[in-house]
Amino acid sequence: MDDEAVRLAGLTRHYGPVRAVDGIDLSIARGSTVALLGPNGAGKTTTISILLGLAPADAGTVSLLGGTPAEAVRAGLVGAMLQGAGFVPGATVTDLVELARALYPHPLDADRILRLAGLTGLATRRVDRLSGGEAQRARFAFALAGQPDLLVLDEPTAALDVEGREAFWTAIRRYADDGHTVLFSTHHLHEADEYADRVVVLAAGRVVADGTPAQVRALAGARTVTFDLADGAVDGLEQLPAVRSVRVRGDRVVLITEDADATVLALAAGRGFRGLEVAAPGLEAAFRALTSTGTEH
Amino acid sequence: MRAYLRFELRRLVRDPRLTMFTVLGPVVTYLIFSPLAGDDRLEGLDAATALMVGLAGYGAVAGALTVAGSVAQERASGWLHQLRVTPLPPWRVVVAKTLTSMLSGVPAVVAVGLTGVLQHHVTLTAGRWAALLLALWLGTAPFALLGLAIGYALAPHLAQPAVFLVFLALSVLGGLLVPVAYFPDALRHLAHVLPTYRFAELGWRSVDGRAPAPAGLVLLLAWTGVFAVLAAGAYRRSTARR
Repeated sequence: MDDEAVRLAGLTRHYGPVRAVDGIDLSIARGSTVALLGPNGAGKTTTISILLGLAPADAGTVSLLGGTPAEAVRAGLVGAMLQGAGFVPGATVTDLVELARALYPHPLDADRILRLAGLTGLATRRVDRLSGGEAQRARFAFALAGQPDLLVLDEPTAALDVEGREAFWTAIRRYADDGHTVLFSTHHLHEADEYADRVVVLAAGRVVADGTPAQVRALAGARTVTFDLADGAVDGLEQLPAVRSVRVRGDRVVLITEDADATVLALAAGRGFRGLEVAAPGLEAAFRALTSTGTEH
Repeated sequence: MRAYLRFELRRLVRDPRLTMFTVLGPVVTYLIFSPLAGDDRLEGLDAATALMVGLAGYGAVAGALTVAGSVAQERASGWLHQLRVTPLPPWRVVVAKTLTSMLSGVPAVVAVGLTGVLQHHVTLTAGRWAALLLALWLGTAPFALLGLAIGYALAPHLAQPAVFLVFLALSVLGGLLVPVAYFPDALRHLAHVLPTYRFAELGWRSVDGRAPAPAGLVLLLAWTGVFAVLAAGAYRRSTARR
């Protein structure tokens, strides 16, 4: 058996001039829990839509559990919770759960689904009369009901309150512990950090970082040190303490560092500069700076 | 597909408000206008029976077309995308939707039939009642498909008025409200090619114990084909984007 749950190769999708997805390569091992982390507009939803076969790619290939997305979906190997996917009026929570159970070959027990999703007691409630958080849990129940090998969740905690989130992640973790693969997207670093084995950071349609939560957390603490070169010498900047990357725009130098104090002290000891600024760039800017090739945008 | 059909039927039963409107309209129209036709012979039948069949058909078409609004909403809400990531093939969704919307026309047929019996003592044999119900149920297939085409093609706020206009035009020009006997010649000829007239014709012939007219059946099937192609095209386009 193939031990890859997801393989994306050279995935590209343009909307007019906008590159929503700009060449994504990604391989996800079976049984892992992977977070797609990135700001709004990073391409998370588009990537997930293509991965599930809901949207076409302009270029690139997708393989899900050894087949095409359509094959994997038809075989009942995939469950998904889509962003903002609504429900139809008139159906109850039980109707939804029973529909999902009937559509998949090896569904979970109905009571267990309701328990996992925290919907026990709401079984007979109509979905159009659920609160935002309850509806989100119903979406989760629908995605989970068929016990899919791969569970894909697009911004799953968007409508949930703090307690709802905690219960939700407990359920996800329990599901992942049974050997299922979980892929979720989020723009909260702490969610990716706490609940994933691996974090893939997207920015502007590209994978800009890919590693363990600890590695990503370290990157998130990064600072930028920006200054004008007084003597014009760029050489050796990357040798300064804690520096992760160096970028030069004309006379202006941008350093990404994990320890701004150490970098600035060493810089001041060694060379002349003007107009020094130290800033916390935020996660995405740090990732983008790290991966940019030094050309100006 | 049976699970999905069951799911849709449960929804239909749970929300009877939509059906109420398709029932009330033709019943009230029948109550008011059927006495006005007096002893006229319409479509080879007495006026009370002919108008009953026409208005039952009117309600059935209205019921079948309501699918447009609900489908447009399902699409806009993302529910269709949600279904597409389950093992249920899309064509089965379309077929189940067609079948349930055909059923939403049935209450109006029954209600207008009952009104005919109570108001004008329309008497038919059990067999002919059954034939009428069957004709006005199966005959709604083209309208269900037309409703799907509109619902898949347009946003919810446009689908509602669009379907209303189409419904009004088809039912008035097809002689469901005012029988074509009262039409000027040119309009009557137009009516004879419309699916609504040919649909009601199935009903008029069945209460008279006659088999469907071959020409009418061919026309109705042709319209069904056209609307099926439109629905399939609209469905494909609506799910291709995003």
